[in-house]
Amino acid sequence: MALRAAVLRHIRLPVQTLTPNASRAPSQLSLLRLFSSHDDHLTKEEVIDRVLDVVKSFPKVDPSKVTPDVHFQKDLGLDSLDNVEIVMALEEEFKLEIPDKEADKIDSCNLAIEYIYNHPMAG
Amino acid sequence: MAASGVVAPTRTEVLQLYRSLLRVARQFSDYNIREYSKRRTIDAFRDNKNLTDPSQVSAAFSDGKAQLEVAKRQALVYSLYAPKVKSIMDIKPS
Repeated sequence: MALRAAVLRHIRLPVQTLTPNASRAPSQLSLLRLFSSHDDHLTKEEVIDRVLDVVKSFPKVDPSKVTPDVHFQKDLGLDSLDNVEIVMALEEEFKLEIPDKEADKIDSCNLAIEYIYNHPMAG
Repeated sequence: MAASGVVAPTRTEVLQLYRSLLRVARQFSDYNIREYSKRRTIDAFRDNKNLTDPSQVSAAFSDGKAQLEVAKRQALVYSLYAPKVKSIMDIKPS
């Protein structure tokens, strides 16, 4: 019994010395990070690449003209129907549902990239 | 309601109808129906994009609205009888 108590006390000691505030802080922080939607968020470069790929693969678009700040209707010669189709294709690519009001505003690569990059659910 | 008189639908309303039709087309579980309704929507709007006569525009618009209701109902009905086996077109190469 005396031996067991001594062993337990001996074992417990290092555990207690291992939990000062300094070593606990990072682990709590990483636990909090798990609840953050921005933890594994898409990087800007990734969003730009994938948006440009979607736009380039649109049948009526000349892929060589597509740049990150191209305007769908002014620069690519698309009409408002094509605009809707591109936004729908972007929804599919990033598994989003963009509300009509927002979708109406997206008329250039730049706005699409901004919207998707700032959307917490974009994946 | 929109079909009453010869008031042509606004540009935003038409685009919203277009978007709603494309959205409902996406819901069909069967590949062929999904692709057909998408293609049909795009073709019909392209065919009618040069209409200027308000009565023709509103006729086409209310026709589209009726089709949207049909598509919504059918998407629901077909979801109850979804094919057990995926179409080969739905299988993405990994």
